[in-house]
Amino acid sequence: MRSQRKCDLAAGAFIALLGAVVILAASQIRGDVEERLPPRTLPYAVGFMTLAGGLGLAVKSLRFRGEDPEIRWPEKDGWVRIGVNLLLLALFTALMDPLGMPIATGMYVAGAVWYLDRERILGALLAGAASGVVVYYVFIRLLELTFPLGPLGR
Amino acid sequence: MLFSWDLLLTGFADALTWTNLLWAMVGCLVGTLIGVLPGIGPSAGIAILLPMTTMIPPTSGIIMMAAIYYGAMYGGSTTAIVVNIPGEASSVPTAIDGYEMAKQGRAGAALGISAISSFVAGTLGLVGLTFFAPLLANVALAFGPPEYFALMFMGLSLVISLSGRALLKGMIATSIGLLSSLIGQNPLTGAIRLTFGIVDLMAGLNFISIIIGLFAVSEVMINVERAATHIYGTKIRGWMPTWAEIRQCGPTMVRSSGIGFFLGLLPGCAPAVTTFIAYDVEKRVSKTPERFGKGAIEGVAAPEGANNATSSAGFVPLFAFGLPTGPALAVLMGGLMMYGLQPGPMLFQTNPKFVWAVIASMYIGNVILLVLNLPLVGFWARIALIPFPILGPLIILCSVIGAYSIRFMLFDVWVALLFGGIGYLMRKLHFPIAPLVLATVLAQMLETSLQQSLLISQGSWLIFFNRPIAGFFMALALASIGRGIWLQVRSHAPEIAIDDADG
Repeated sequence: MRSQRKCDLAAGAFIALLGAVVILAASQIRGDVEERLPPRTLPYAVGFMTLAGGLGLAVKSLRFRGEDPEIRWPEKDGWVRIGVNLLLLALFTALMDPLGMPIATGMYVAGAVWYLDRERILGALLAGAASGVVVYYVFIRLLELTFPLGPLGR
Repeated sequence: MLFSWDLLLTGFADALTWTNLLWAMVGCLVGTLIGVLPGIGPSAGIAILLPMTTMIPPTSGIIMMAAIYYGAMYGGSTTAIVVNIPGEASSVPTAIDGYEMAKQGRAGAALGISAISSFVAGTLGLVGLTFFAPLLANVALAFGPPEYFALMFMGLSLVISLSGRALLKGMIATSIGLLSSLIGQNPLTGAIRLTFGIVDLMAGLNFISIIIGLFAVSEVMINVERAATHIYGTKIRGWMPTWAEIRQCGPTMVRSSGIGFFLGLLPGCAPAVTTFIAYDVEKRVSKTPERFGKGAIEGVAAPEGANNATSSAGFVPLFAFGLPTGPALAVLMGGLMMYGLQPGPMLFQTNPKFVWAVIASMYIGNVILLVLNLPLVGFWARIALIPFPILGPLIILCSVIGAYSIRFMLFDVWVALLFGGIGYLMRKLHFPIAPLVLATVLAQMLETSLQQSLLISQGSWLIFFNRPIAGFFMALALASIGRGIWLQVRSHAPEIAIDDADG
């Protein structure tokens, strides 16, 4: 879907749906309705604002009759690159607790650098190792930030 | 608190001792590093270093802490300009034009004007602090919850101009920002909202994670998509702004100093708010507003100036009433109390020598910051020369550290990732990102002041119109909204955020 108009239509519909979900969720908020500003008032207001914005965008794109600009979505290779990088990032986040921040950092940086430039294997390993060491000595030891240490903390 | 030339000159004599100069320099350097490094903002930085300052004389210790505060305020803009990571909400407006300038090979010029504007505004702010503090301190007292609500509402109305031609999309971005901050507990009543039964959501979404995701993570995704070899395609052109550009930014620096200083007097009116207002004002007064969002140098000078002027202004209520206007100043106040000094009306009577030495050292600190940072501009700008396959993962690493270290919750990292995806889609679909950030930053204060105001007025909304200051801000906000709607109704163009740098 490269047409701006169609994308706006889809985005508008999705946002309107989000607004409807928020209104529904707001109706279930418990709290004292006798308060000057009951707890569900603002969620309702923002829900209606979201719904109205989404519907407005959808209607505007339906009624639009001018030149339709094209959205530059990535080609297949681009989607694959984004997907792999997001996967690496999700793995990094998920492994931060069990492996500890320094080791997970080293693995993520080495893996991501290697994936983005396959000819740089040594560079990737060095960047990974250096990042892990910096995280450990600067952020954990020097600045005493409480990052998970994993096996290094045992 | 009365001004006296004698006391000020004695303050300069104290601050200009070699020991105090040395500690001011160390503070500026450490502060800039704190600002540049992800994960530790000014408040955390001062808190970490507070115990260390006990090893040096009290005046030197406080001078060093104030220098750290200034340095950190300045350092935060570096990553926003060079790699599009605004570590603080106040750096977001800087990133809009600063990063665009960097992409055009002008990171050095953006960093240079940021340093110069910070210096000018910081110094002008100090002049205000030195000469008019007693008078200005009363301004803060004239502000109650209705005035705060009206001010925040006016701040929120800036989304109209930040949205460019895409008003509907700007409105949607604003509602998503407001929604994000409504999730979790109500700050006053504790009522749980929009958590959908997810326990992690009860603590709410932290706006720094949202900003990091929207800017840094989505920026990396855009570069990964196009298999970039370098973060910018263009070569670096010049390390410094030209004289013509500095002159062009002169009025901008003065205006943003005024905005940053006067709004900075108000407790809770953080640099995050004043920088957006200064950016918006500059865009409105510019004869070529279409350049904003595309690398306008005034778009960097304005928020940076406002940021530093706000930092200076924060010392007025701190010294005059013992009222910290933000978390970093609250930590600094803790530092003062650690030395047995109680900020407040009596501070100037009981410890005049100390207070004026600190004020004098701030002038010197501003000069040191400029002298230290201008030569470093080339160093920071060269970060862009690192090949993207190495720089990209490092940007992500900084983002993860930045998001995690706010509350030390893994959940915040996932939030940053989620908003990275949202930011990517927003850029592709031409939704402006700045309104979302502004709404997220303002929402909590807006809600709290609204609740307090309605309690005061026993439910009457007229309280926002029948008090002069509140009425003035409300009128400005409503006029801005009305104008935006009128322009939107007249426009028949497709919804494209023409002037968003994010697109």
